[in-house]
Amino acid sequence: MRCGCVALCRGGVTVPQRGWVWQYLSMPDSAANGSASANGTAPAVELHNISKGFPGVVANRDISMTVERGTIHAIVGENGAGKSTLMKTLYGLHQPDSGTIAVNGTEVEFGSPSDAIDSGIGMVHQHFMLADNLTVLENIILGAEPATGGVIDSREAARQITELARSLGVEIDVNSPVAELGVGQRQRVEILKVLYRGAKTLILDEPTAVLVPQEVDELFENLRRLVDAGTTVLFISHKLDEVLAVSNRITVIRQGTTVGTVTPAEVTRRQLAEMMVGSDLPQPEPRTSEVSDRVRLEVKNLSVSRPGRRDLVHDVSFAIHSGEILGVAGVEGNGQFELCSALLGREHSNGTVAIDGKDVSHASVRDRKNAGIAYVPFDRQREGLMLTSSLWENNLLGQEEKFTKYGFVNVAAARAACREVISRFGVLTPNEDVPAFALSGGNQQKLVVGRTMSMNPAVLLAAHPTRGIDVGAQAAVWEEIRTARDAGLAVLLVSADLEELLGLSDRVIVMFEGSVVAELSPRDATPELLGSYMTGAKVAAR
Amino acid sequence: MKLTGRARLMVLFAVPVALMSVVRLWSGEDALTSSDTIGASLRLSVPILLAGMAGLWAERCGVLNIGIEGMMIFGTWFGGWGAWQFGPWVGLAFAVVGGMLGGLIHAVATVRFNVDQIISGVVLNLLAFFGVRYMSDLAFVGQPGGGVSQSPPQTSAIPRFDIPVLSGGEVFGWKSPNILLNLEERGWFFLSDLAGILHGLTHNLSWGTVIGVAAVPATFWILWRTRIGLRLRSSGESPVAAETLGVNVIRLRYLGLLVSGGLAGYAGGILAIVASSYYRQGQTAGRGYIGLATMIFGNWRPVGVLGGASLFGYAEGVKLVANDAISTLFLFVALAAVLLVVAAVVNRNTTRGIVTTFVAVVAAYAYLAIDDVPESLTQSLPYFATLVVLATASQRLRPPAMAGIPYRRGESH
Repeated sequence: MRCGCVALCRGGVTVPQRGWVWQYLSMPDSAANGSASANGTAPAVELHNISKGFPGVVANRDISMTVERGTIHAIVGENGAGKSTLMKTLYGLHQPDSGTIAVNGTEVEFGSPSDAIDSGIGMVHQHFMLADNLTVLENIILGAEPATGGVIDSREAARQITELARSLGVEIDVNSPVAELGVGQRQRVEILKVLYRGAKTLILDEPTAVLVPQEVDELFENLRRLVDAGTTVLFISHKLDEVLAVSNRITVIRQGTTVGTVTPAEVTRRQLAEMMVGSDLPQPEPRTSEVSDRVRLEVKNLSVSRPGRRDLVHDVSFAIHSGEILGVAGVEGNGQFELCSALLGREHSNGTVAIDGKDVSHASVRDRKNAGIAYVPFDRQREGLMLTSSLWENNLLGQEEKFTKYGFVNVAAARAACREVISRFGVLTPNEDVPAFALSGGNQQKLVVGRTMSMNPAVLLAAHPTRGIDVGAQAAVWEEIRTARDAGLAVLLVSADLEELLGLSDRVIVMFEGSVVAELSPRDATPELLGSYMTGAKVAAR
Repeated sequence: MKLTGRARLMVLFAVPVALMSVVRLWSGEDALTSSDTIGASLRLSVPILLAGMAGLWAERCGVLNIGIEGMMIFGTWFGGWGAWQFGPWVGLAFAVVGGMLGGLIHAVATVRFNVDQIISGVVLNLLAFFGVRYMSDLAFVGQPGGGVSQSPPQTSAIPRFDIPVLSGGEVFGWKSPNILLNLEERGWFFLSDLAGILHGLTHNLSWGTVIGVAAVPATFWILWRTRIGLRLRSSGESPVAAETLGVNVIRLRYLGLLVSGGLAGYAGGILAIVASSYYRQGQTAGRGYIGLATMIFGNWRPVGVLGGASLFGYAEGVKLVANDAISTLFLFVALAAVLLVVAAVVNRNTTRGIVTTFVAVVAAYAYLAIDDVPESLTQSLPYFATLVVLATASQRLRPPAMAGIPYRRGESH
C-alpha cells in the first residue's frame, strides 16, 4: 500500500479534501491488505514509479502499484486516464521512460510482447485478435504449435486446449470456425490463447465492454476459477459496479497517475467514483423533458428481408414524438444497423415510414433527408467521414445543394459553415483545412454530430454517438442531443452503453434477432433486465 | 441431403458418369467418355490446375495474384530454353525458377513496397509478355528453327508410361494385360464409361503430368497439416493477429508468392515441354486467368481447384479429340438440369426450380436444333459453368479474409 502515498507525494496530485480518502491512503499496509491473499510469496507484478510520455502528453506519471499473486486486481479510471498506456507498458508493447517492473520479485525489461509472454504475462485485447475463417484450435495454437517435424499434432493440441477450457469452466468445440462463435465465446478463445502460452498473469483490457450482463457474470465466474487455481488477473474497467463485485483490490488511476489502492469492502461506489474523477461524475442523468403529442417519426410493420434467411428487421413498429428520445438497446448485430439503414432509405424494406406525417416509405435517401431525417453513423470513419479530405469538405457532405450555385461550390460559405460547426461544437483543430484523419476520435465525432445538427433535422438517428470518445466529448455530445431534443427533435438513439441509454432516453426498446422484444421506461429498466431481453432469455409482450 | 464428405464426393462423381453413359447410349457417340478424350483432358487440365494452385497459394498467404499468366509466360520461356539447351528435366526446373522470379517481383512490389496487388499483377503480365520477346530475340533468333516468337525444337522429351495391369504397362519386360481398355471396348452401361475414364487417366502418362497432379495432395498437406501452413494461412486470414503471436507475416507472404510463382512456372513448363516440344509465344493462351477462375470455383481449396480444372480441361479435351460429340454435351446438360429440377421440387426451392427448368429446355432445344457447334461457344462453356457456380454458391464461398489487403508491420486495425 506504499504505492498510493508515493503517487500522492511525488506526483503532487490534489486529492479532494474528503476525510475518507485520506483515511485509506494513510492506512498502514496490513490494514489495507485485509482480504487479499498475501501468502508470503513475492507479488505477481510490481510497478515502481513508471512514467511514459508521448509527444505532447504525459500518459503515465509516477505510477506505482503491487499486484498480489492469485488475486483479481482491477484498475479503474476514466477514459484517457492512462490505464491502457500502463497495461501496454506492462505487456511490452512500448517501453517506459522511467521506472521499473518486477515480476515475481525479479526486475524485468520487456522489449516486446514476446518478452512479456516469456515472463508469464498475457493480454486479452479489447478488440479480439482472431482469424474468423480459422478454427478455434488453429487460432489458439497459432505461433506456438505442438508439432513433430513441422507437422502439427492436432490431437495433442486439442487435448491441451480441452484441459485448459475445463480449468476455466467452459465447454468449447475446438474444431468450429471462430466465425460461428458469439462474442462471449470469442473472448474465451482469446483467454485460452493466452493461457495456452503459459500465462500466469492475465491482463484483460475492458473485457466487459462487449458483453451483455449475463455474459459478464459468466466471464467473472471463469476468472474466479482461474484465480482459485493460482492465476493472477489484472483487469481494466471503468464500470464501478462490476469492479466492486469481482475484484480483490482496486487501483484507481486519474490523470495518468495512481490515486490509491483500496479493497472493495472499504469503499462505496460513490466514493470510488469520486476518487476516479476527483469531483462529481458527469452522468447522463435523466432529465424531465416536454414530450409533445406531435408524432415526428412513425414506423409501422417495418421489415428488412434477405432471401432464404431470417428477417434482419422483423415487423418493427414505433413512433417518436417531438421532444422525445427513443433508446434502442440490443447486442450488436440484432438488426439495429439495418433498422437505421431502412429508415434512411438505404436498405429496401417493407412497411411504412412517415416523417412529420408525410409518408416516405418509398422515397429515396435524398428525399427522406429533405423531409428532415439525419444520421449519426455507426462507424464515423467508414460511414461518416472522408478521412483524407479536409474538414470543410467533410462538413459539406450531405449539404452540397445548400452550398452550390450553377454547379459550383461556394467555398467561402462552406468554409464559414465548417468554422461555425468547429466553434459551436468545440472541435479541437487548428483550422478547417486539416484532413479528418488528423483529429482524435472524439473530435471526429464532434464534427460528425455538429454537421448533422447544423442541418436542423426533424428526426435524428444517432448510432453509438459517444463510442470511443473521452468523457469530456461524451458530455458535450450528450448535451447537444438533449438541447436538440428540448427544441422539439425526435431522436432514435442506438447505443451499446446501457448507462447512456438509460440516462438519455425517454423510452427504451430492446431489439433481439431483428424484432422488438420489449419496451420499457428507463425508470423501470435495470441493466440486468435489459440484458435478459437482449440475450433473448426473457421475452415480454409489448 | 445429409452426406458426409467422402460419400458426397462419390455421388458428385458417380452421377455425372452415369448421365454420361446414358447420353452415350442414347446418341451412340462413344467419344464423350473414351480414354482418348479423357487422356487429352488430363493433359490439358494440368496447366490450369497448377495455375489454380498458384492462385491458391498466393491468396492463402494474403496476396491477390493476377500475375499468374505472366509467371506462366516466364515458365514457358525458361522451360523452353532450358529444355532446348539441357534436356527436358532441367527445362522443367528452369521453368519453376522462371516462375519464382515472377513471384519474387510480385512479392517485392506488393509486400515490400505495398503496391496495389492488382496493378502489380497486371504489370507483371505485361512485363513477362514483352520481356520474353526480348529474350527470344537474344537467345533464339538465328538458331535453326528458332525465332523471335519461338524456340528451336527440343530433341528429347519427358518419358511416358502406362500403369501396369490396369492399362497394359510393362513390368521388367513383361507386357501386362490391359484390363481397363478391354472393359472400355465392351460398351457396357456405366462400367465401360468408368473404365474409359480410368484408362484415360492411367495410360500414356507423362511424369511431368504426374508431378503436376501431385501438387494437389502436397498443397493440402502442407497448408492444412503443417505448422508453416497454418502460419501461412493465418497471414491471409488475420495478419495482425498472426503478428501479435510472433508469426512473421512478411516472410510468409514472400514464401507464399515464391511457391505460387514456382507452381505457375511449372504450369508454363508443362505447356512448353510436355504438351509440346518447343516454346512458342502466346503458348499460355490465358490459362493463368482460367486458373484463377478454378481457384474461386474450388472455394480456395485444393480438391475444389482440382474439380474446377477438370471441368475446364474436359471441355478443352472434348473439343480437341471429339469435336463432333460436342452437341451431345447439350443432351448431358439437359439431363443434368432435369435432375436438378427434381431436386429443386423435392426441396421446394421455387427459384432454383424455374432456373433449372429453363436451362433444361434451352439445352434440350440446342441438342435437337444445333448440328454444328461454333468453336467459340464450346470454348466459353467452362466460363459459363464458373459463372453459374459463382452465382449460385457465392454465399458459401470462403475466400481468405485479408487477401488483397496490404499489411504493414506494426499497424493495428
